[in-house]
Amino acid sequence: MFGGGIILVGYVCKYTPVEIIEAFGETPVKLEPDSKSYEQAEALIHSNICSFAKGILENIIDNHIEEVVLTSCCDSIKRLYDVLKERVKFIYLLDLPRKKDPMAVDLFYGEIKEFIDAYKAYIKRDFSKEILAKILENKAIKGKRMDSESIAILGARLKEDVVEKIKNSCAEKIINLTCTGEERIFDVKPEGDILKNYAESLLNLTPCMRMADDRNDLVNKKFKGIIYNTIKFCDYYAYEYAELKDKVDIPLLKIETDYTDSGSGQILTRVDAFLESTGIKKIEKTKAKSGYFAGIDSGSTSANVVIIDENKNIISYSIVPTGPKAVESARQAFELALKSAGLKEEDIKAAVATGYGRVSIPFAQKTVTEITCHGKGAFFIDSTVRTVIDIGGQDSKVIRLDDSGNVVDFVMNDKCSAGTGRFLEVMARTLGVSIEEMGKVVEKVKEDITITSMCTVFAESEVISLIAQNKDQRDIIHALNKAVASKAVSLVERIKGKGKYMMTGGVAKNKGVVTAIEKRLGEKILIPPEPQIIGALGAALIALEGK
Amino acid sequence: MDAVKSYSKFIKKNMERPEKVKKLINLGLFIAYHYVKFFRDKRLPESFHFLNKYSIKCVIDSLNQPQNSAWVNIFAPSEFLIAMDIKPLFIEAYSSFMSGFFIEDCLIDAAESKGISNTLCSYHKTFLGASELGILEKPRFMITTSIACDANIPTFRYLSKKFGVPLCIIDVPYKYSKEAVSYVKKQLQELAAKLEEAFKRKLDLDKLREIVKTENKTRALMREYLNYVGKKTLQTTMTFEMYMLFASHVFIGSKETLKFYEMLVSDIKKAPEKSGKSVFFVHILPMFETNFKQYFNFGEKYHIAGSDINFDFLHEIDENDPFLGIAERLILTSLNGGIDRRVSRIRELLEYIKPDGIIQFCHLGCKQSMGGAFVIKKLASEMGIPFLCLDGDCVDKRNNQEGQNRTRLEAFLEML
Ligand code: SF4
Ligand code: SF4
Ligand code: SF4
Repeated sequence: MFGGGIILVGYVCKYTPVEIIEAFGETPVKLEPDSKSYEQAEALIHSNICSFAKGILENIIDNHIEEVVLTSCCDSIKRLYDVLKERVKFIYLLDLPRKKDPMAVDLFYGEIKEFIDAYKAYIKRDFSKEILAKILENKAIKGKRMDSESIAILGARLKEDVVEKIKNSCAEKIINLTCTGEERIFDVKPEGDILKNYAESLLNLTPCMRMADDRNDLVNKKFKGIIYNTIKFCDYYAYEYAELKDKVDIPLLKIETDYTDSGSGQILTRVDAFLESTGIKKIEKTKAKSGYFAGIDSGSTSANVVIIDENKNIISYSIVPTGPKAVESARQAFELALKSAGLKEEDIKAAVATGYGRVSIPFAQKTVTEITCHGKGAFFIDSTVRTVIDIGGQDSKVIRLDDSGNVVDFVMNDKCSAGTGRFLEVMARTLGVSIEEMGKVVEKVKEDITITSMCTVFAESEVISLIAQNKDQRDIIHALNKAVASKAVSLVERIKGKGKYMMTGGVAKNKGVVTAIEKRLGEKILIPPEPQIIGALGAALIALEGK
Repeated sequence: MDAVKSYSKFIKKNMERPEKVKKLINLGLFIAYHYVKFFRDKRLPESFHFLNKYSIKCVIDSLNQPQNSAWVNIFAPSEFLIAMDIKPLFIEAYSSFMSGFFIEDCLIDAAESKGISNTLCSYHKTFLGASELGILEKPRFMITTSIACDANIPTFRYLSKKFGVPLCIIDVPYKYSKEAVSYVKKQLQELAAKLEEAFKRKLDLDKLREIVKTENKTRALMREYLNYVGKKTLQTTMTFEMYMLFASHVFIGSKETLKFYEMLVSDIKKAPEKSGKSVFFVHILPMFETNFKQYFNFGEKYHIAGSDINFDFLHEIDENDPFLGIAERLILTSLNGGIDRRVSRIRELLEYIKPDGIIQFCHLGCKQSMGGAFVIKKLASEMGIPFLCLDGDCVDKRNNQEGQNRTRLEAFLEML
């Protein structure tokens, strides 16, 4: 895509005078980082700046982009500019005012003129206002701009392909109103200085969070639902989410993304679960049938299958560790369950798949997210449950149910492994004990240690230094169990979870963690006999009767 | 120390009762003030003792008179407030005090569980948390600028909406130009009008000029002070280096600040010739980090040779047209604009101070500063001064990897 004869001018912000670049006859491209790592970027800039900015840097290096136009959007972009200055042939930072009064327009107008001069000098070609006028004419406002009958994606920029995937995953109309998602349509006055009018209309685009204007017009629209995106290490947008969370009576889902590829599967799960739980996406109810029904939970650490009969009796179940190919492990688990039930595949009337691998299970007719399934399964086992805490190998989630067992709210942890089974595994290895050993420690022995870092990598080094200080191993384990518990409790608090609580997932078998959570919540937690199969059970129930 | 810990425990126990917490915090500040007043640390130069009392008093004053106070951030043009006898509370100071009281963790958790980004700067998170928990009385006005970091505008906008208190945002352009100055000047005029309206009193222009005059005198003393920093050793602590922000920013222009710098210059003149190794800090200092405390607070071998944030502007400003003067100051502070501007200020300071080493403590969440670390490192190596970059948090003690940092810090100090 990059390279070849055409010169591409990279930009990132919607306030960039893209049309001016076009008027020069060049090709502006909105940079969308797609790198899997930030290796080169982190050699040039501190790793704790915004992940998008790091991604851009990586991208510019990878693709040898030589012309870049930025705005003074945020600290990360400003520093990106400082770092790039000596590395690309042409770079320009437009000072973008945060207001849009006449003086601000003048200031921005001046900036645009200076930019034109700088670019003219660089490519040794002239700029023509007439061409600009033509380009703008083609981008004039036509028809209505926003549709309240749709689901809006708001917040920080979201990768184009994730937006596409969300659009494809449901029948609803999705509009992208993230910081740079807006279409470039203008209402440039024909009379007077076209450049000045252009500057003014740029400043009048829907204000992003960086601007001084408030965004009431945008966020108070009656959407059917809002998917709110924030970016790791970007500060701007979380504020607005915090505000909306309490105010809006519209279904609201927060997602946090960064610009590496790995997270998009989890995001889709969240979006799906959100659409299901708010009733925007319907799961059809089917009439009670006779026969057997299967639920397949294809998770990142294990594949679990539950088979029930028409009266909701559990006939058999299986748990198989996930191998390199998720489908095969699911198949194995399915066959194992069939075998122990003494059934054949034809005996299964309907099968529903859930979990990370759910979309690729060929022997299931339907897929439902693990959020809905866990809620369903937990409520079936005990209808007094109102909050489900699920801590699995790679992720953890908390689901809140209403009195009829419907999911009313949920959170999932960030992509990192903090507070999950994986975290405990790493620590067990560091300590040289088994996971089972760790689970037995329910109390401090000598002293009450607290692990302060949540991040697996940092916590590991903390553990190493505790070992070096000769601390009692059981106290370290106790501290680790508390750390996992505190992460889980913070998720519970985020959605204001209340009793009764049920814990599911592999970590529910860890007595130490369970006790630590109970202490923090001040309440007993129900642990089902086999906490790992609750998702699959929920899926089987949905196979039988719908949601 | 233990008294503080039990005080902190007691506050935390009462978090559900904001009225009580408010009182406890005021009480804590009151005790701190009197403690400082009556039990002066003998090692401490007189000027810092004076500053210590003054800073605590400023915080107490604004908390005690919320209806006569304005919340600001450190770069706000508070000359207007001083001229109108309005008590500013700058959020960075409040958060530092809360960390001093060991309750920052509670406040930060409150902000995060509300949905505020966990990677946001903890000075902001602490303050936001305090307002979420209802332990802050709402002020009458708020002012923020776009200088230095991203956090300012959204934090204040959030607070202003939450409390229904008017906010004035001063948008300070990144680049300097005549138009930029007029743009800011006009915003300052609007600010003055809004303040007059909110506090129902007039701004006396002559008084404002007086304050700007005092401000200029104060900066002259800062420059004089710089002549000695490289040659003398003034015993101090990281906390005092940070207290200086009261004097170099929010309260500059007040008589007390002028007095502080007069005392400071006389203290440094009297101070012994330089001995041991001196370390210059980029941006802010981790005043609650144990290793740093151990080495730098009244350190015999190592001492603090200033930080660039206290010298971000050193020129005179226009005394006749204070609106213009202040507008220029806002745009030209070394924390505004491209990294080059900051680098050249740091270079200037290094030439004065000639420190033996430079430390940049990358405060988690402070992207504007950490983003420039590699550029400043380059400057240091050009000037042949050892440079150390460490990650951590100046407020939230949970984010400090003290074990790891210890090794790095010690190795660095051994190197000097
Ligand atoms: S946040 Fe605003 S200024 Fe920044 S890139 Fe997005 S649209 Fe541009
Ligand atoms: S995502 Fe946020 S921090 Fe990152 S570049 Fe955009 S505005 Fe800046
Ligand atoms: S430490 Fe950095 S991010 Fe925090 S308030 Fe100061 S300048 Fe802003």
